[in-house]
Amino acid sequence: MISIKSVSKWYGDFQVLTDCSTEVDKGEVVVVCGPSGSGKSTLIKCVNALEPFQKGDIVVDGTSIADPKTDLPKLRARVGMVFQSFELFPHLSITENLTIAQIKVLGRGKEEATDKGLKLLERVGLRDQALKYPGQLSGGQQQRVAIARALAMDPVVMLFDEPTSALDPEMVHEVLEVMVKLAHAGMTMMCVTHEMGFARQVANRVIFMDQGRIVEDCTKDEFFGDLSARSERARRFLDLVLPH
Amino acid sequence: MDFSAIPAALPSLLEGMLLTLQLLVFGVAGGVALGTVLAMMRLAHAPLLSNLAGLYVNYFRSIPLLLVITWFYFAVPFILRGITGEDTPVGAFTSCLVAFVMFEAAYFCEIVRAGIQSIPKGQMAAAQALGMTYGQCMRLVILPLAFRKMTPLLLQQSIILFQDTSLVYSVGLMDFLNSARSRGDIIGQPHEFLIFAGLVYFVLSFSASLLVKRLQKRLTV
Amino acid sequence: MNYNWDWGVFFKSTGIGDEIYLDWFLAGLGWTIALALSAWIIALLLGSLLGVLRTVPNRWASGIATTYVEIFRNVPLLVQLFLWYFLVPDLLPEPLELWFKQDLNPATSAYLSVVVCLGLFTAARVCEQVRTGIQALPKGQAAAARAMGFTLPQIYRYVLLPQAFRIIIPPLTSEFLNIFKNSAVASLIGLMELLAQTKQTAEFSANLFEAFTLATLIYFVLNMSLMLFMRGVEKKVAVPGLMSVGGK
Repeated sequence: MISIKSVSKWYGDFQVLTDCSTEVDKGEVVVVCGPSGSGKSTLIKCVNALEPFQKGDIVVDGTSIADPKTDLPKLRARVGMVFQSFELFPHLSITENLTIAQIKVLGRGKEEATDKGLKLLERVGLRDQALKYPGQLSGGQQQRVAIARALAMDPVVMLFDEPTSALDPEMVHEVLEVMVKLAHAGMTMMCVTHEMGFARQVANRVIFMDQGRIVEDCTKDEFFGDLSARSERARRFLDLVLPH
Repeated sequence: MDFSAIPAALPSLLEGMLLTLQLLVFGVAGGVALGTVLAMMRLAHAPLLSNLAGLYVNYFRSIPLLLVITWFYFAVPFILRGITGEDTPVGAFTSCLVAFVMFEAAYFCEIVRAGIQSIPKGQMAAAQALGMTYGQCMRLVILPLAFRKMTPLLLQQSIILFQDTSLVYSVGLMDFLNSARSRGDIIGQPHEFLIFAGLVYFVLSFSASLLVKRLQKRLTV
Repeated sequence: MNYNWDWGVFFKSTGIGDEIYLDWFLAGLGWTIALALSAWIIALLLGSLLGVLRTVPNRWASGIATTYVEIFRNVPLLVQLFLWYFLVPDLLPEPLELWFKQDLNPATSAYLSVVVCLGLFTAARVCEQVRTGIQALPKGQAAAARAMGFTLPQIYRYVLLPQAFRIIIPPLTSEFLNIFKNSAVASLIGLMELLAQTKQTAEFSANLFEAFTLATLIYFVLNMSLMLFMRGVEKKVAVPGLMSVGGK
C-alpha cells in the first residue's frame, strides 16, 4: 500500500531524513516512534507530500509521489491524515467540517456527504455534537471529529501524526479507543505516536527512528520481546517511555 | 515627456520642500506633545479628564484632515480677532500647522496610550514602592519605557504626516507639491513636474519606511 | 465679536433657484457616499486578490503584490489623484481621451478619477490587512486542507479566507471609514462632495462656523453609524466557541 524507497530530505544543509525505506501492506498497522527531532513526523508528512523530499520515492497505492506528473491533491484525497493539533476548521460547524472536502474535492452531493458524515460521527460517538463548532468541543472530542473527517473521504490508508500528544491525559484514552476500533476494522494505518500501549495492542510492526534514520523496523513481538536484541538507542528510548 | 526643465527649477522646489519639512517637524513635535498629554488624560482615573480626551480623539478621528485644514484656515483669523479684538494676520502656514498638530495629536494619543498600557503593571508598582509620586513614575519610568517601545509606530505615523502635508495645497500654501505644480504650469510641463514630485515623495517615504522597519527589527531582537 | 450666529442658515435660500443650503449638504453627502462605496468595492476586491498573492508560494506573485503596495503606500493620495485626473487621461488612446474630456460631464469625469484613485490607494492597505490575517492563522490549517486534497484555490476559498476575513474585520472597518474621509480630496478637483459644499456654503452665507459645524457633525454621525454597522457584521459572522474573533 505504501512503499517508501530510500527517501532523503534536507532543510538547507541540514539533513532531516537519511535513506529511509520501508513498506506498509494493506490492512497493516505500523507504529513509528522515536525521540523528538528524529524525523518521524517529517517522514509521515512525506507520505502525502505535505513535505517535499529531495531523493528517493514514495509510492502510495500505485501512485508515485516523486513523479512530477502526479496530481497531488487527487492523491491526498485518498490518504487520510490526522494532526497533532486537530486542525478542524474553526469557522465551520462540525457537520460542515465533515462534509466540505467530500463536496468540494470528491464532488459528492450535499445530502450524501451529510449522511456519510453523520454516520461517521456516530461511529466516533459524537452524533449529538453535529451542530456545534470546533471551539465548543474538548480536545479529545475535536480529535475524534478530525478522525471522522479523514474517514469521510474513504481513504485507502490513514496517517496519524502524534494524534494524542496535544491532549490532556484524561482524553488520550477516548482517541486511542477510536483508533483501536479502526485498526480492528482492517484499516491500513501508519501512526507516529509515543503510546506504546497502543502499539502493543494493535500494531503489526514498529519502526524506530533516530536522527533521521530508520534504526529498527520489526514486528511488534520482536520490538517488545527481547530487549537485548534492540539497538542501544531503542533500548534507551523504551526505557523512558515504557512504564516500569 | 521632457524632464530637462526640472534641474533649473530645483531651487524653488527645494524651497517648497523646506516648507513641507517645517510642517512635518513642527507638526510631529506638537502632535506628539499634545498627544502625550491627551494619552495621560485618557488613562487618568478622573472620569471627566478621560472622557474629555476620549471625545477629542473620537472627534478628530472621525473627520477628514482636509476638513480640519480648510476649517482652521477660515476660522483661526476669526477666532484671533475675537480674542484680541483686532485683525491679526496669521497666514496659512500657522493655521495649517495648528490643524496638523490638533489633528495628528488624536492619532499620536492612541499610539502613546497603547504604549503606556503595554508596560507591565509591576513597573509602576516598583517605582511607587521606591517612593516616587505618580508624576515621577510616569516621567522617570513609564514614559521612557513606553516611548522606546512605540518609536517605530510614531515614526510610521510621521511618514503618513509627511505625505499628508501635501493637503496644504488646498489653502494655497507653497509646499513641495504646490511649488512643483505651479512651476510645471508656468513652464508648460505640468505632467513632468507632477511625476517628479511623485517620485520624490516615493523615494523619501519609501526609504524612511525601510529605515523604520530596520529599527523595528533591532528593537525587537 | 461681530459675527452673526444664525443656526437657521441651512433653511435659507441659496439664491440659486429655490434651493436651500441644506440641499447643498445633502447633495454633497450623496457624492461622498457614492465615491466611498464605489471605491470600496474596488479596494476590497483588488486588495483581497493582492493580499492572497502576497502569501502564495510563488516569488513572482508576491513580488508583484509587494511592489504594488509599496508604490501606492508611499506616494501621497493627493499626488495620486492629480496623476489620475490630469495625467492619465492624456495617456489614453485618442477616442477614449476625447470621450473622457469632452463627452463626459465634468462631475462624472472627476468622479471616475477619484473612484479609481481611492480604490487603488485603499487596495494597498486592504492587501496588507488580508495578508496579516492569512499569516495569523495556524500553519496547520493550510496543511490540513492540503491533506484532504484541496487545491490551492480551494484552500484559500474555503479555509484561509473565511477565517482571515473574520480576524481582520476591525482593521478593515477603519479602512472603510478612511475611504469616506479620504474622499474629501475630491473637492480639490472640483467635485461637489460634502467638503466642497461646506466651503461653498461658508463663502456664500458668511456663516462659516455653522457650515463647518454641520459638516463635522455629518462626518461624525456617518462615522459612528458605519462603525456600529460593522460591529453588527462582526457579531453576525462571529464563530461560536471562539472567545473573540482575532483575540489570539
